[in-house]
Amino acid sequence: MNDTTRERKALLFVGSPKGLKSTSHALGSYLLKKLEAGGLATETLLVGAALHAAKDLAAMHEAVAAADLIVFSFPLYVDQLPAPLIEALELIAEERKAHPPAKPQKTMAIVQCGFPETHQNRPACEIMNQFAKEAGFEWAGGLAMGMGGAVAGRSLEKAGGMARNTVKALDLAAASLIGGGNVPREAVDLMAKPLMPKWLYRLVGNWGMKSQARKHGARKTVYNRPYAA
Amino acid sequence: MNAIILNGGPANGRGSASRKIRDTAVKEFQSLGWAVRVFDLDGLTIKPCRGCFACWLKHPGTCAIQDDGEEYLRTFIASDAAVWITPVTFGGYSSSLKKALDRTIPTILPFFIRAHGEIHHPQRYERRRKLLALGTLRDRDAEAERVFRGLVQRNAINMNPLKTNVCVMSEHADDAEVTARVKDLIRTAGIA
Repeated sequence: MNDTTRERKALLFVGSPKGLKSTSHALGSYLLKKLEAGGLATETLLVGAALHAAKDLAAMHEAVAAADLIVFSFPLYVDQLPAPLIEALELIAEERKAHPPAKPQKTMAIVQCGFPETHQNRPACEIMNQFAKEAGFEWAGGLAMGMGGAVAGRSLEKAGGMARNTVKALDLAAASLIGGGNVPREAVDLMAKPLMPKWLYRLVGNWGMKSQARKHGARKTVYNRPYAA
Repeated sequence: MNAIILNGGPANGRGSASRKIRDTAVKEFQSLGWAVRVFDLDGLTIKPCRGCFACWLKHPGTCAIQDDGEEYLRTFIASDAAVWITPVTFGGYSSSLKKALDRTIPTILPFFIRAHGEIHHPQRYERRRKLLALGTLRDRDAEAERVFRGLVQRNAINMNPLKTNVCVMSEHADDAEVTARVKDLIRTAGIA
C-alpha cells in the first residue's frame, strides 16, 4: 500500500429502493469491502436517503465531490435505472456543471436484473457510460448480471457456490481498481455468467411467485385485472 | 380511440421543448378524432416504485402507493396509443417520465414466459397500444440518440405494443419542424 492509495476514497451509491436489504447492496458492499482491504477509504449512500431532504442532497454532493471512485449499484427497472437513481444523476450532473470537479474521478456500475439474460442490462450500462461522459467522470466500466433474484439480497458469502463467478468477477474488478485500472474484460465476462441453468431459474422463479401469492392470500386473484373496462 | 400523453419534461426551463411537442401532439390526435389525456408528470405526485411486489403478490394489479399514479395507470390501460415525451437524459428518460413508467409494474404478471427468445413477464391486460417516444436533445449527440432508440426498443419487447415509433429532435426545433416531426411520427405509426 502506498500513500496515494491510502488517500483514495470509494463511494458506493446504492440505487435500489430496497436499500440495505437489496441485492444491489449485497454486490456493491462486497466490492467495497475488497476496496477497503486494498487501502481505500469507503462510504455508502442509499439513493432514497440521499434524495430525502435538502441537507441529504448537500451531503450527497459532498460525498460525490470527495470520492475518487463512485460505484453505482442498482437493479434494472423497466429496462434501465430506477427513477430515483436517474433523479440523483440529474442532480449530480447539474451540480458538477455549476461546480466542476477538483480532481479526476472514476465511476463504474454494477447492474443486475431479475431476468436470466445479462444482455437485458445493456441499456442501463450504456446510460451509465453516457452519464459519466456528460458529468465529467472517467468511465471505469460496468458489471452486469442476470438472475439477480437468485441472490435475493443475501450477502454473497451466504449465496453459496452459485455466486462463485460473481465473487471472482468482483475480486478481479477490485484488484484492478485498487491498482488504478478499470474493470477488466475478464471480470465483465465472469459477472455475465448465469448463476444456474436458465430453465431452472424460470422454474424456481415461477414456483416462488406462486408460493408467495398463496402465502399472501392472493392465489386466486393473481391474474386480476382491476382496471379492465 | 384514446391517447395518453406523458410529458416528462421539467415544468420550467428545459421543459419548453417538451411542452411544444405535447401541444402539437394533442392537436394532431384531436384533429384525427381521438380523445387525449395529458399527464404533465413534473406537476404530479407520482412517488417512485418501491419494488415491494405487492402489486403482484398481495393485491394483484394495484399499486401499494396511493397517489396520482393510480389515475395514470387507469388511463394508460384504457389507451390505444401512449406517447412519451422526454428530454433525452444520459441517453434515457427523465426521472419524471421514468417514475411513471416504473409504476406500470402492476400491468404485468409476476411469472416468466419466453418472448423474442428471452425471458419476460406476460402482460396482465389484453389491450395493446401503439407506443410513440419523442426525445429532445440540447446538442446533437449521436451516441445519446443511439442509446435512447435502443432503450425504447427494449421497452417495446417488454411492453409488447402493437407498434413502436421513435423520434429524436433538437430542443431548439422551431414550430414548423416540431409539427412536421410529430405528424410524421403519428402517420408512420398508422394512426388515423
